[in-house]
Amino acid sequence: MYYPEPISKLIDSFTKLPGIGPKTAVRLAFFVLNMKEDDVLDFAKSLVNAKRELTHCTVCGHITDQDPCAICQDDHRDRSLICVVQDPKDVIAMEKMREFNGKYHVLHGAISPMDGIGPEDINVPSLLNRLKDEEVEELILATNPNIEGEATAMYISRLIKPSGIKITRIAHGLPMGGDLEYADEVTLSKALEGRREL
Amino acid sequence: MMHIHQLTLKNFRNYDQMQVKFDDKINVIIGENAQGKTNLMEAIYVLAFSKSYRTPKDKELIQWEQEYAKIEGSVNKRKRNFPLEIIFSPKGKKAKLNHIEQRRLSDYIGALNVVMFAPEDLNLVKGSPQVRRRFIDMEIGQIQPIYIYHLGQYIRILKQRNHLLKSLQRNRSADRTMLHVLTEQLIEHAAAIIERRFKFLNLLRKWANPIHQGISRGLEHLEIMYNASIDVSEEDNREKIVNIYNLKFSELEDREVERGSTLIGPHRDDLLFYVNGKDVQTYGSQGQQRTTALSLKLAEIELIHSEVGEYPILLLDDVLSELDDYRQSHLLHTIQGKVQTFVSTTSVDGIKHETLNKAEIFRIENGIILS
Repeated sequence: MYYPEPISKLIDSFTKLPGIGPKTAVRLAFFVLNMKEDDVLDFAKSLVNAKRELTHCTVCGHITDQDPCAICQDDHRDRSLICVVQDPKDVIAMEKMREFNGKYHVLHGAISPMDGIGPEDINVPSLLNRLKDEEVEELILATNPNIEGEATAMYISRLIKPSGIKITRIAHGLPMGGDLEYADEVTLSKALEGRREL
Repeated sequence: MMHIHQLTLKNFRNYDQMQVKFDDKINVIIGENAQGKTNLMEAIYVLAFSKSYRTPKDKELIQWEQEYAKIEGSVNKRKRNFPLEIIFSPKGKKAKLNHIEQRRLSDYIGALNVVMFAPEDLNLVKGSPQVRRRFIDMEIGQIQPIYIYHLGQYIRILKQRNHLLKSLQRNRSADRTMLHVLTEQLIEHAAAIIERRFKFLNLLRKWANPIHQGISRGLEHLEIMYNASIDVSEEDNREKIVNIYNLKFSELEDREVERGSTLIGPHRDDLLFYVNGKDVQTYGSQGQQRTTALSLKLAEIELIHSEVGEYPILLLDDVLSELDDYRQSHLLHTIQGKVQTFVSTTSVDGIKHETLNKAEIFRIENGIILS
């Protein structure tokens, strides 16, 4: 009401972003008004391009501007090893580590009956097809360590176990560089459960 | 002994802004009905458990038309002072222990130990199973925070599982792998919960029976039994409990799908009380039922003392006048000098005990403490 239409539309757009409330949206919108026109154009173009040019890789489900994605096309990577994650952001996290040389499969969510999300609503069917076609020796289940992530991992493992492919689950436990005394009890008891012989 | 020496309320129920210093022994809160006695007791309870026993809706704790409610308490435990703070707003709640926000409530609950005895607790014996489950869950939770974690996980998995069972009810021929996964998850936490409940009951029995004998002048013997929805014995270890659940769940699978809900588990279990071999819930007199409730509460105080190393804070909300002279003096005698106690009542006339002569008296009128 108090704002001319173009700016109130801009404010409205900003509030659609996560973590942005009405006040921040107003601040950002006014900031944009004072930006150089070229910068604003670049910004708008990046937004549109990110949306238009990025798709999901038809093999692994990761976000990509080429299909199949760069990771799937990379012949130096070990095709016999697939790491299953919930989110494209998890792939980026794994890649930053620079230790993992296998391929990925992005589920885009976890199974959650109370939200109406079943196995066929996330990328489980494409994972099963992939295992039929490719020579996979080990599947690493790296879904989140909460109820839904855990259930999804257990579900996939039950489906695939009969095929004889080796299935592993990433470990839960203490963060490195932390102090034992500051760990919460749940993490500590999980860490104790997953102890190994030296 | 553990005690609260200062409490500050802001926009909590009918308190705008209130700060009060307490005695470390007995505090008597006197006021007419609807002036804020119970609200004050509730504030101390909420400070300990981060939620109320009167309502599941945190929003109700915030004063009408206010943005937030805040409870701050300055607590002394193991001879150390530390502040506890809890803030409720429409966005949720924040619990701070020693100025640091605790993301997991299980890291917060247990910092302050409280035993509450209110008129509704007299219903512990004859009330619904839910009342008894809440009793046992609250008490284990404040001495073993990891229990709260298992309970929270259990409730969430149960919700997931019931949703899935409802959808399988509509589509019987659908694949059941996910149901088996959720059953496995559910059993893991169910076994952890039930195992801890057994251990707790063992401790509770040890304290409750002598206390009960004392109150009943040696005439009554109290027994507490766990009534599980599966055929399990208290000597069974976790592995055995898991096996029993596994068998029972596979046996019940079709029936669960048919009903669209989970039919067994800790959420269906109950406690049974026997006095001189008779089930008090069904055959006990009102007096026996009240004695049993009182014995359990007093046993809880001793149990926390033995597990935590210090006596908890006792809240007696409008309950003294509900007990006869003998039970009253037994209660007051037990806590004398060793438990910080808050007694709320409309008048001290009906309560004659030397303990109350030394008490600090607070009069409450319309959300304001007068003295």
